[in-house]
Amino acid sequence: MIKAQHMFKYFISFCFLFLGAKSFCQEIQQEKVPQKIKDTIVYKTNYGLRLGIDLSRPIKAYFSSSYSGLEITGDYRIRKNIYIATEFGFEKETSIEDYSNSTSKGNFIRVGFNYNAYKNWLDMNNEVFIGFRYGFSLFEQTLNNYTPNVSDAENGNYFPATIKTPSKAAANLNAHWSELMIGIKAETLKNVFIGISVSYKILISAKNPEDFQVLFAPGFNRIFESETGFGLNYTISYLIPFSKK
Amino acid sequence: MKKNILFLVLLTNIFAACEKDDFCVKNPVTSKLIIDFYDNTNRETLKKVQGFSVIAEGKTDSLFTNQSFNSISIPLNSLTTETSYIFKKNTTGGATANNNMATFSIVYDTEEAFVSRSCGYKIIFKNVAFSTDTNSWITAFTPSTIINLDDQSAAHVQIFH
Repeated sequence: MIKAQHMFKYFISFCFLFLGAKSFCQEIQQEKVPQKIKDTIVYKTNYGLRLGIDLSRPIKAYFSSSYSGLEITGDYRIRKNIYIATEFGFEKETSIEDYSNSTSKGNFIRVGFNYNAYKNWLDMNNEVFIGFRYGFSLFEQTLNNYTPNVSDAENGNYFPATIKTPSKAAANLNAHWSELMIGIKAETLKNVFIGISVSYKILISAKNPEDFQVLFAPGFNRIFESETGFGLNYTISYLIPFSKK
Repeated sequence: MKKNILFLVLLTNIFAACEKDDFCVKNPVTSKLIIDFYDNTNRETLKKVQGFSVIAEGKTDSLFTNQSFNSISIPLNSLTTETSYIFKKNTTGGATANNNMATFSIVYDTEEAFVSRSCGYKIIFKNVAFSTDTNSWITAFTPSTIINLDDQSAAHVQIFH
C-alpha cells in the first residue's frame, strides 16, 4: 500500500512537471506575433501590355506537312491577379481520315481573362493561372478527296469503291466556342515571359458545309465527336511596362 | 525544373492519346441487301436454301459456296446502277447435274451521304427494283421495288421457293 502511494505521488508530480513548460511556450508565442505585423514593405510589380507569340505552332508546322499556323498573344493586367487576355492568328490544317481528306484554313480570335492563383515572393511576377475564353473563327474547308465507305469485311470487300476528288470548297464557315485554360508563366529575363498552357474547348456552334462536317476549326483545333477540343500553347512574350503598382 | 519536365511528358502523353479517338463502329456503313427465303407453299415459314452458292455476274469469286441459309445479306455495287447475282441451289447431293440456277437482278440509283469523321460517306440506294429470270427456282418475291435502301434492321426482300 505504501509502495502504491509513492507511485501515485510520482505520477502526480510528473503531471506538474510540464505545466511550467506549457505556460512558458505560450509566452514565447505571444512575443512573436507582434513582430510579424511590423513587416510592412510592399513589393511593386509591373503593369502593362504583354505581347507574345505561340512557339508551338511553328514547331508543329515544321514537323507536320499538313499544318501551318501563327498565333499572337496579348494580355493586359487590370488588377493584381486579373488579366484581360486575347489570342489571334490563322491556321491551316489538312485532316487525313480513313475515308476523307479535307483542308480547313482561316482566321480566329479568342478573348477572355486570366486569373493568377499564384502568390509571388517579393517582387517576382510569375503566374499559375486559370483562364476563360470566348473563341470565334472564320474559315473555309475544302474536301480534297473521299472514298465512299462500302467496306464489307465479312465478304472481303466484294465491290470496292473508288476514290473521288471533288475538291469542293465551302467558304464562309464559322465556329464559336468557349474555352477553359490552365497554365503557367515565368519571368525568365526582365519583362520576358515563357508560358505554357492547355485548354479544353466546348463548341457552341459551327456552320458545317453542305453534306459534310467541320473536322478542324482554326483556333479550336480538331473537333472531336463530342464537339469538344483541346489546345496547347507554348508562348514567349514581352511585357511593355506602363506602371508599377 | 524536374517537375516541369514531368508535366511536359504528361502533357505529351495526353495529346498523343487524343490522336485517334473515334473508330467507325457502325458496321456496315453502307447498307447491304437482306434477303429472307420462305417456303412457297407455306409462305409464313422460313425455308433454307440447300447447297446454296452466290456469285455476282461478271465476278470470278463467289460470295459463298455450298451453304445452307434462310437469310443472306449481299452487297450492291456502288459504282454501277445494276447488280446481278446468280443464286445456285443444289438440293440433292451436290452433283453438277442437279444445279438449279436463278438470276436475281437489282437496279437502283446511288446517293452519297456523310455519316461521320471516322465512317466517312455512305451510299444510299434509291428507287431499288428487283427482277428475276423466268423458270428459275425462285417462284416469287416481294416487294418488287423499294424506295430507299438505307437500313439493316429488317429484311428488304422475301423470296419464295
